[in-house]
Amino acid sequence: METLNFLLQGFDVATRPINLLVAVFGAFVGTVVGLLPGLGPINGVAILLPLAFALGLPPETALILLAAVYLGCEYGGRISAILLNVPGDAAAIMTTLDGYPLARQGKAGIALSLSAVSSFVGSMIATCGVVLFAPLLAKWAVAFGPAEYFVLMVFAIACLGGMVGDKPVKTLMAALIGLALATVGVDSTTGVYRFTFDSVSLSDGIQFVIVVIGFFSVSEVLMMLESTHSGQKAMKASGRLLFNFKEFCFSFWTMVRSSLAGFVIGVLPGAGATIASAMTYMSEKRMAGSSGKFGDGDLRGLAAPESANNASACGSLIPMLTLGVPGSGTTAVMIGALTLYNITPGPLLFEQQPDVVWGLIASLFIGNVILLVMNIPLVGLFARMLSVPNWILVPAITIVSVVGVYAVHSTTFDLVLMIGLGVFGYILRKLDFPLSALILGFVLGELMEDNLRRALSISAGDLNILWSSPISLGLWALTVLMLALPGLRWLRARRKVLPANA
Amino acid sequence: MYVRLFSAIWLLFCAWLAVLAWGFQAPFAYDPVGPRAYPLLLLALMGAGSLWLLIKPGVLTQQLHVPSALRATLCVLALLAYALLFEPLGFILSTALVGFALGVLFTGRPMPCAISGVLMGLLLYGLFDYLLDVPLPLGLFEAFVES
Repeated sequence: METLNFLLQGFDVATRPINLLVAVFGAFVGTVVGLLPGLGPINGVAILLPLAFALGLPPETALILLAAVYLGCEYGGRISAILLNVPGDAAAIMTTLDGYPLARQGKAGIALSLSAVSSFVGSMIATCGVVLFAPLLAKWAVAFGPAEYFVLMVFAIACLGGMVGDKPVKTLMAALIGLALATVGVDSTTGVYRFTFDSVSLSDGIQFVIVVIGFFSVSEVLMMLESTHSGQKAMKASGRLLFNFKEFCFSFWTMVRSSLAGFVIGVLPGAGATIASAMTYMSEKRMAGSSGKFGDGDLRGLAAPESANNASACGSLIPMLTLGVPGSGTTAVMIGALTLYNITPGPLLFEQQPDVVWGLIASLFIGNVILLVMNIPLVGLFARMLSVPNWILVPAITIVSVVGVYAVHSTTFDLVLMIGLGVFGYILRKLDFPLSALILGFVLGELMEDNLRRALSISAGDLNILWSSPISLGLWALTVLMLALPGLRWLRARRKVLPANA
Repeated sequence: MYVRLFSAIWLLFCAWLAVLAWGFQAPFAYDPVGPRAYPLLLLALMGAGSLWLLIKPGVLTQQLHVPSALRATLCVLALLAYALLFEPLGFILSTALVGFALGVLFTGRPMPCAISGVLMGLLLYGLFDYLLDVPLPLGLFEAFVES
């Protein structure tokens, strides 16, 4: 009952005119950013974050804006996947497998509308999950002391290494680079300057906005130099524009199953929408067996990844809100946004800032409806955005990014630092280091060190405190499991190869 | 190959940072850990990771492509010029220039790029400075604006 009251209070916040306006704007921008190949939710959130801050939006409004962009991106990614065979963001890779064949069969309209509904179902189920589980987890998480927090963050980083799969060492390295970047600046407990190289501009640490925009916008601009697929023609969304009842029933249970799976994957720290959509697609394909036409335009192959990626996007808000540990790269950026407002996400957020939390959750419901309404009739308009040429798009992204960074401190130094980080990010990406792990590390960096040092202050330097409580022991066990996963997978792959050789 | 090169450089970089971090000493100890243990721990882990990648770099799908590397360098130079000219020239002029330069770099034709650059400079200045209240440098135009 208590939850219901809070939810109503949240709707009260979310239906304020400014918040509704921001949700519509965010949903629109998110869809556009999502459908443009190369730009994903992290870029969208990163570009809008400094603007939201510079505009002086209150924290709940800023968060609603960013969440709407996040959801919108998960909706938008499917449009270019279906019409162009180019995933608009990483999570939409699986959508291309069945979406593009459908479009070639002249069923683009059906594919677009059905995937919009799948996205809607996914987000709705996951948002209900957030309402049910987030307060519970928050209550439980209040029992966390600094030692447990530290172990939780170690677990989050291990999760990245275990889930991202084929390159665990590079993923962990990226996370470590992020953690190390966060140590730059004055040490908060002792006042010692660390890695500032006697620069005044660095004494405050590297600003979050600069890191995000450098690593994601600038490096993205450099990446886009290589992919000049401007000559590609988008499929026309012709024929029937809406799916019929039979098609909906055919894929309904797929949507429900994939949404639940996506939600669970989203809640796990570190594992994001990309993994969720890939896993559900594979399992649906296996379940359908030979009766499915997966790969040649099966509606279930379209519904599964779309509902899963939206569900995991919503699910990843749970660890962010309740524990202050991001569930995905984008939520890492949102945590950074909250810290700009001096709000530390964590279990106490539910008690201290109910307006922010429940306003955000309520706005997810509203944002979803807005996105569904926006996405079915306006799909033609969005599809036309695909034809904006790079020579307009790239300068526009660059300029908005630069303004965002400049708005923080108004110094040239920040701009140069942003470019430097961007070049570094570009090199890392070329070498296959996942940047979302880096951003996660950067966000967790300060929290992690603070909690470690607080824990050790409590125990007067005795390391045993880190594994003394059952919670931390359990988390260590999970961490070890996560770190062992890539090794196990490698062993299994080897065992499969060996008999073939013999 | 490139991964190996990167790991080697990164290993050296970590070592250098560790030397720096060794000097972090608090005049008064407030907590048992102190300011240098945590960075050193991170650097040690990173060093271990670099060593691993140095020995087992794995397969890299990306290849260095000289023309595109050249274009990336040009792009970085254009961005750097933008950053450094941002304040002296002011937002409108520097934006028009970078809009043009990047447009041409991204296979646009010169004339439309020039037009779009100038338009972006003017429109975005209006948008940010007047509508969104983000202060931007006027630079050369400062003389024309009475304060």
